[in-house]
Amino acid sequence: MKALHGLRVIDLTQAMAAPFCSMNLADMGADVIKVEPPGEGESMRQLGRAQQNGHSGTFMTMNRNKRSLAVDLKQPEGVALVRRLAASADVFVQNYRPGAAKRLGVDYESLRARNPRLVYCAISGFGETGPYAPRGGYDLIAQGMSGVMSVTGEEGGAPAKSGLPLADLAAGLFGAYGILCALEHRDRTGEGQLVDTSLLEAAMALTVWESTEYWSTGRTPQALGSAHRLWAPYQALRASDGWFTVGAGSDRLFASLCALLGREELSQDARFASPPARAANRRALIAQIEPVTALKPRAHWLEALARAGVPAGPINNYAEALSDPQALARDMVVDLLHRGAGAIHALGVPVKLSETPGAVERPAPLLGEHSAEILRELCYSDMEEKALRAKGVIQ
Amino acid sequence: MALEGLRVIDLTQVMAGPFCSMLLADMGAEVIKVEPLEGEPTRHERQLAPGVSGSFLAVNRSKRGMAVDLKAKEGAAILRRLAAGADVLVENYRPGAARRLGLDYESLRAVNPRLIHCSISGFGQTGPYAQRGGFDLIAQGMSGIMSATGNEGGPPVKVGVPVTDLGAGLFAVFGILCALRARRLTGRGQQVDTSLFEAGLALSAWEATEYWYTGDLPRPLGTAHRLNAPYQAFRASDGHFTVGAANNKLWAQFAALLGLKPLLADPRFAKPAERLANRAALEKLIEEVTVTRPRAHWLAQLEAAGIPAGPIYSIPEALADPQAEARGMTQQYDYPGAGRVKALGNPVKLSRTPARPAAPPPALGQDNAAILAELGYSAQEIRQLKSSRVIA
Repeated sequence: MKALHGLRVIDLTQAMAAPFCSMNLADMGADVIKVEPPGEGESMRQLGRAQQNGHSGTFMTMNRNKRSLAVDLKQPEGVALVRRLAASADVFVQNYRPGAAKRLGVDYESLRARNPRLVYCAISGFGETGPYAPRGGYDLIAQGMSGVMSVTGEEGGAPAKSGLPLADLAAGLFGAYGILCALEHRDRTGEGQLVDTSLLEAAMALTVWESTEYWSTGRTPQALGSAHRLWAPYQALRASDGWFTVGAGSDRLFASLCALLGREELSQDARFASPPARAANRRALIAQIEPVTALKPRAHWLEALARAGVPAGPINNYAEALSDPQALARDMVVDLLHRGAGAIHALGVPVKLSETPGAVERPAPLLGEHSAEILRELCYSDMEEKALRAKGVIQ
Repeated sequence: MALEGLRVIDLTQVMAGPFCSMLLADMGAEVIKVEPLEGEPTRHERQLAPGVSGSFLAVNRSKRGMAVDLKAKEGAAILRRLAAGADVLVENYRPGAARRLGLDYESLRAVNPRLIHCSISGFGQTGPYAQRGGFDLIAQGMSGIMSATGNEGGPPVKVGVPVTDLGAGLFAVFGILCALRARRLTGRGQQVDTSLFEAGLALSAWEATEYWYTGDLPRPLGTAHRLNAPYQAFRASDGHFTVGAANNKLWAQFAALLGLKPLLADPRFAKPAERLANRAALEKLIEEVTVTRPRAHWLAQLEAAGIPAGPIYSIPEALADPQAEARGMTQQYDYPGAGRVKALGNPVKLSRTPARPAAPPPALGQDNAAILAELGYSAQEIRQLKSSRVIA
């Protein structure tokens, strides 16, 4: 059995943030029903560069372990069907622009009238309230407006964002957290509620350290390349054949690093004698260390650092990261067989539960693959189903 | 509050673990932070008041505090008594350290089979790197994130916020809440085990997809998108701003707004795949126009046209933005000795059981006496523990 066994989630989501939210619930055993428009399906099904045998990689990545119901919400019978589904569900997730769910008749107020136990989660660019609520928002916009971009990139260099869409992903995770908290309350009281989060807020919540730096010093945090605001050395260092990372911020680790570099005297140098001194004199410190590290290859330093117990590592590209022995030992790469795409890889579940582990068991559904079985579960008759199909309400 | 009645023992330090338990505290859990007698290490970074730093305040709000020497036999006994009545325990020691203290899952479930025991480490409790120490920087490097962040050809750059620490904290919260639901069904607790490295990989969903489906290695792209264009920062006369014109409709509107309608008929930019393949050429043509006017001009125009766009804020600008304010993203409380302190709000708004307003983090060991009394220790026993330096 899985942890979220018996939990039914209706998923009216697209692109990344909210599909990632419901995907995590599906990984832990929830029955996630992805509701998509007939014909083309969710927008991510459109083919871009990442595809296999005519199936979109981005769609398959975000929608594994889910079932698909293709239903036209522009027809009243389609709305009635989704409402009937929501009446039987525990959770409803959508990421329309605020206001759009109401126009479709699937907003929180409409659905809770029939199911007061429903936990309804809305993930948007800026939240359901406030002056920017109606605006569209993407990860890029949220990274820019949350301050995340201002602290990412080279010192004084061109703007850079987090290479991965962290506002999207974090909003999805905060959404899952909000939903599970709301379910705790529901199980005690019987009351559902609205869970409302956004890309902007999720990205801001990830600036805990940077906002505190600003509030406690009055200084505006800047981009520092690979370095840390408060600890040094804690950054990428140059070897003879590329770069590697070292985190030796504490006095003990710093002394080990100096010994290993054959520069014991550095740990006695007043400029580098304490963590605050090293942070303040980071550039001078790196100027002392890098000429030594640049003499030998990465493998030499990584082996020596591992032996000395100083946290360090390579800067892997994705081919390396996804074939790393630790990634494989932790089941972070899973093989699946998709009915249309064939053999595909998927990322594993990053949090391991000992008694009720999550799993990636089913590839993403084909469009409308489960329409018929879901209608039967809702007690639609064969005749009703046929009529809905004939009218193009379902596919 | 949603997590009212939930008791969490927090043996964590620095970032990933404290962030996890803070999110539980925000939603009403009673989180008891148990620190060594000298306090957790981040208390001693740049001090705001004696025994407290900004980095400690940032991730420890609304918790209770104990200071106990867990290496002393009586200290470990206190912790086991605490665990007997708790729902959740969170720790982020290196794998093996909890066992040496007798605080690993196996030992504690003998005391409380309903306990959910969560471990957050650099690489996970198993596998060839289990014993290695791991920091956010190391995990960002090894999970591939750094290889896809920064500007092409530049020196390595990490994501400016500690994304694997925070991601591991979020996945841990998710795992704990899932385990609580499982406990409703089975009556039993379990072990929740996650790591910075796995969080970094799980957040690489898009990049792994690009690699697996195209065979291309994801590269640093500055502010641009792997699969979409135009979707990046552009230069105005007084700095940069972001625009996401990620589909045909938005692209058409954006081109019209820039006075670049002829580009819509240009075969290099007609379809999303072509705009992506010719991104550098597209960027050049767009920037020739955007550099002629200031950011405010473009942002007003883009907003009027309904095209997603925004400024690139510094941290102080982000915190002062009206939307951030309207959503309660800045909170305040008084901390003894440090005065008025600001904190970030919880990003998730629950309509019936909202997150609690931020309350101050604990002073070192501030709740020792009260919690020991709750556990049934007598006043004399508490005095004894204090004089023998088992508690602070």
